Amino acid sequence: MSESDGKKPTGDAQPPPPGAPTVHPAAQTGPSPSNPPPSPTASGPRAGIEHQPPAAKPPQPLPTPGGKPAPKHPGFVTVTVDGKELVAKPGENMVDAAKKVGSDIPYYCYHPRLSIAANCRMCLVEVSNSPKLVPACQTPMAEGMVIHTRNPRVQESQRAVMEFLLLNHPVDCSICDQAGECKLQDYYQRHDYRSSRLEGEKVLRGKRKVLGPTVVLDQERCVQCTRCVRFMAEVAREPQLGMFGRGSAEYIDTFPGKQLDSNYSGNTVDICPVGALLNRDFRFRARSWFLSAAPSVCTGCSRGCSTFVDFMGEDTYRYRPRENERINKSWMCDQGRLSYKYVNQHRIAAAMVGRAEDRREATVQEALKSVAEQFKALAGTEGLAVLASPLASNEDLLATLAFARDALGLRSVYVSGRPEGAGDHYLMTPDKNPNRRGLEWVARGLDLSLKPFSELGQAINAGRVKALYAIGGEVPVDPSLVAHGFARLEYLVLQASNESAITAQAHVLLPSAVHVEDEGTFTNLDGITQRFRRAYPPSADVRPHWAWAVQLAQEFGFPWMHTSARDVFREWGPRVAELASFDWDGAAPPLKVTRGLNPLPTGADGRPPGYREFGPPRVRGI
Amino acid sequence: MSLRALTLVQEKYPDAFVEQYTDRTGGAWGVLKPESLRQVLAHVKDDPQLDFKLFLSIDAVDRLQLPDNDPRFEVVYFLYSVSHREHLRLKVRVSEATPEVPSVTSIFQGANWWERFVWDFYGIRFSGHPDLRRILMYEEFKGHPLRKDYPLRERQPLIPERPIRDIFRGPGTSGTA
Amino acid sequence: MAHADEREIEELPPDEDSELEAHLQTKRMLINLGPSHPAMHGTVRMKVELEGEIIVRADPEIGFLHRGFQKSCENVTWNQCLPYTDRLNYVSAIMNNLGFLNAVEKLVGLEIPERAQYIRVAASELHRMHDHLTCVGAIGLELGGFSAFLYAIEGRELIMDRVSELTGARLTTTFGRVGGLNRDLPEGWVDRVHKTLDKIHELLGEVDGLLTNNRIFVDRMRGTGIITAQDALDFGFTGPCLRANGIKYDVRKASPYWVYDRMDFDVPIGENGDNYDRYLMRMEELKQSEKIVRQALREAPPGPIIVDDWRIALPPKAEVYGTIEGVISHFKLVMEGVPVPPGEVYDCTEAANGELGWYLVSDGSGRPYKVHVRAPGFAILSGVPRMIEGRMLADVIPTFDTINMIGGEVEQ
Repeated sequence: MSESDGKKPTGDAQPPPPGAPTVHPAAQTGPSPSNPPPSPTASGPRAGIEHQPPAAKPPQPLPTPGGKPAPKHPGFVTVTVDGKELVAKPGENMVDAAKKVGSDIPYYCYHPRLSIAANCRMCLVEVSNSPKLVPACQTPMAEGMVIHTRNPRVQESQRAVMEFLLLNHPVDCSICDQAGECKLQDYYQRHDYRSSRLEGEKVLRGKRKVLGPTVVLDQERCVQCTRCVRFMAEVAREPQLGMFGRGSAEYIDTFPGKQLDSNYSGNTVDICPVGALLNRDFRFRARSWFLSAAPSVCTGCSRGCSTFVDFMGEDTYRYRPRENERINKSWMCDQGRLSYKYVNQHRIAAAMVGRAEDRREATVQEALKSVAEQFKALAGTEGLAVLASPLASNEDLLATLAFARDALGLRSVYVSGRPEGAGDHYLMTPDKNPNRRGLEWVARGLDLSLKPFSELGQAINAGRVKALYAIGGEVPVDPSLVAHGFARLEYLVLQASNESAITAQAHVLLPSAVHVEDEGTFTNLDGITQRFRRAYPPSADVRPHWAWAVQLAQEFGFPWMHTSARDVFREWGPRVAELASFDWDGAAPPLKVTRGLNPLPTGADGRPPGYREFGPPRVRGI
Repeated sequence: MSLRALTLVQEKYPDAFVEQYTDRTGGAWGVLKPESLRQVLAHVKDDPQLDFKLFLSIDAVDRLQLPDNDPRFEVVYFLYSVSHREHLRLKVRVSEATPEVPSVTSIFQGANWWERFVWDFYGIRFSGHPDLRRILMYEEFKGHPLRKDYPLRERQPLIPERPIRDIFRGPGTSGTA
Repeated sequence: MAHADEREIEELPPDEDSELEAHLQTKRMLINLGPSHPAMHGTVRMKVELEGEIIVRADPEIGFLHRGFQKSCENVTWNQCLPYTDRLNYVSAIMNNLGFLNAVEKLVGLEIPERAQYIRVAASELHRMHDHLTCVGAIGLELGGFSAFLYAIEGRELIMDRVSELTGARLTTTFGRVGGLNRDLPEGWVDRVHKTLDKIHELLGEVDGLLTNNRIFVDRMRGTGIITAQDALDFGFTGPCLRANGIKYDVRKASPYWVYDRMDFDVPIGENGDNYDRYLMRMEELKQSEKIVRQALREAPPGPIIVDDWRIALPPKAEVYGTIEGVISHFKLVMEGVPVPPGEVYDCTEAANGELGWYLVSDGSGRPYKVHVRAPGFAILSGVPRMIEGRMLADVIPTFDTINMIGGEVEQ
């Protein structure tokens, strides 16, 4: 750690140059800061790298000694990584480029979306034009450079760095949430695998430093990579974290008098390569080994950030951002991150028939029959209205609105949805509904007009609407007020996923699935349609909106035989102009559901071994 | 290990092999074309220079989740030569679309059951096999359980199982993948 | 009267055209042997078509004990496969454990410590004796000699006691780990093993005296269940069943593993390939194994029993509880498994019934991608119809005994 250039909190930002091959690589990436060239004759922008004096005694003979080599592939930089030729774009990072030829350079502080700090020293590699090992993340690649990422010298350096990083690391894996997704663990097993040589005590630091509403810091586990500091300054643009102290007393903390209350603080937990920054919501909830992950979409606002849903059994434990260059890069906001809770809490599990004291649990068939009977009488009359939710997926809306039009004979539907909220400067939007654009498109495609929720209230008060078929139980105003208004309805069929004041007013309550329980698509506010995958199936009587609509249509005598969201999309998707060209299968996230590490034995109940005596660790109700 | 044998076969049938390679542990492998499988096996059995008379086993690998997975299946043959004290490792690659290999039962009687085993667990047919039935699974069984896309926890009971409340529908349950 | 006729037939060679056979009006009869019958060794069902008392066609039907061995192994870590391998040949579980580990170590490219190699040899040979004693005792029992069975089982019980002292379990041993062994020999164990071997030697003398030259026994064994050497090779017979045909193939000699090349033992060879020869093979191997166990335990050097590499073997507990390096290694090994580099290997060891082959494929993760087991019993059972077709129904029992069919390994 001799060249301590990287302790600056913000690092020296090196924006990757545009991929135009004509751009001179070194001119864009600037001089090489970590290897101060011994030559004072820096005459051109590439001087520091190319015109090494021969006195520098390179460990290996240069492949093209003397003179500036002509590029082998004009417009690109050609280097040799572990004996393999690599043609890289000028300005491409060595860590990323080496991965393409199968050389995994380990790193902690490097992050492709953050500035370069080069302070963890894990990515040190041997290059032909430097006598010392150089950090791969920071060293621009030069034509003809020979890079070794796993020769004995580099391996010894990696081992030494690992030993150094673990020197003061607490013996915490058993209680650390990061265990299983921790880079210290991965790299120790790959690059060190030797016993401790520490004599004496470990340095003690702050063990539970609450940084803000979302994040808690364990300073003992920190490896001072400053990823979090750089993230807050460069991406969230709310510099709240800093690096304090020196030497082994160095630590991360919030700036005096501040706390980490940014809406993007949760991302610091994701990018923390070790278990120093932990999410207070997820802390001590599950071992990451047991969690399975499904690619999904955040439903917190109309941005529609790509996420992973981490689940175990039939409970969602957390959202993590999934890389998506068009929408959320690698980030997501804290509000969205915590919006998973409705997936677990206060779910409606069975169909209900009757209002207030008449309410009782009903079988699916029974509920469907009574709804169909009533709707058949009401179809085509003035008094029947449909309320559609912009929280439902495109497939849900396609089927239910097609049902509203074809079976109920409606020309317009009312729009419900979550109330407007606050937006922020980066990802979060004021509209808290993930699929408003999709609802607009689907309604237009099916020749239905949309009417705002306020008109529904007036219509109910004026007695024009007597019966309502509501898809989704979220309303844009205070639910208790709405419930009061809905009390005047003569017949309310509500398909909702969660209990609320409104569900109490339903004459027939049908339990609906949430997005993690089914496949489907959302269209975000920019008109980008994304597929999400199913994490786990809904419980017995719960089914997605489209399935209820299809079953109701069957009761009406329609020959609808759709058995999946895919079927629904194939039938009605082409009628919506904007969705007609959408490749439903092709748009599926390439990653399938990744299973938790331990496949549970047949008949096991999803509880990890050893947890049995404590009862099920379900997150419902927490 | 059996490089000598592979070279001898190569001399006799230059076109029989798709490739030959040595694995990391030093075992030599010959990848045969399906059409030359029977010819080569009959030859290595009868040629005194080779004398691979002891038939060890057949199995298959579903390469679905491996980086190089086209064609999807590999049927592997293991033979032994008592006189020369060496193993012979042969492979035949089969695609998912036409999972069919010529049967070698008429050359080695012991292949009979192993071929039934591979048919049972991987769904690879052996043309010319006298009696290609399932061997360990029951006749009513659907699918081939050692294929990588067969779920680990899929159940196909012949007699309906007693329902157990709140049973965890975890990894491998059909319908969740 | 019919009864008398049958007795007549039994005394005649089946293919001889006799007068009695000419006028005997028999219908072909289908008989179901098993699947639940003590003499079927596990749960094998044999559909036998009889012409009188002569077997015309036999079709063994297996799978009743199928447990999805391969599929299970593909979904657990390498070390977690061990309990599954216990249940292959459950009469000699250690040989399955160690055979599997040997293949994994070959795939990793590991050389295990010398002491571990000696202990592996000793433990394997103990379990070979265990297996052969069970087999020999069962032959005696099923041919009517209960006392021979009791003597053999007494010896077997003694071995089980020693094995449970060594591994903690009588049958399902789960012994060994990738890179060596999970535990060293208990204190005083070697002396107890020597005493046990003395006792077994004595018991074997009794069994030998009761069976080997017993007229009834020899009559039922000699010349029954014959297979030619050509057929035996063709069907893939290995181990005692192949050697009974005079073919000298023993993996321990042909390609020695561990320290078998330093062991002083002989491999018995038969000549007729009938039940009696197979029985003699096992009796002689019992004596040879005894020699090997004694020699291995005598020569085992002191030293480590597992490799000192924290990527392969669990760190000592003190390190796990006290240092971050130890706890990381422990976590990674337990949760993700030994990182076996990608590749494939075929490796074999000599188990009690013959060549126990493993074809392993690794994709570089901590779990096997493919675990093929070439169980010796599978090949041998597939040759049983050849051995009994055209022979008497009564020959089925000694044939089944001497091939030592183990449902666990045949049906995976």
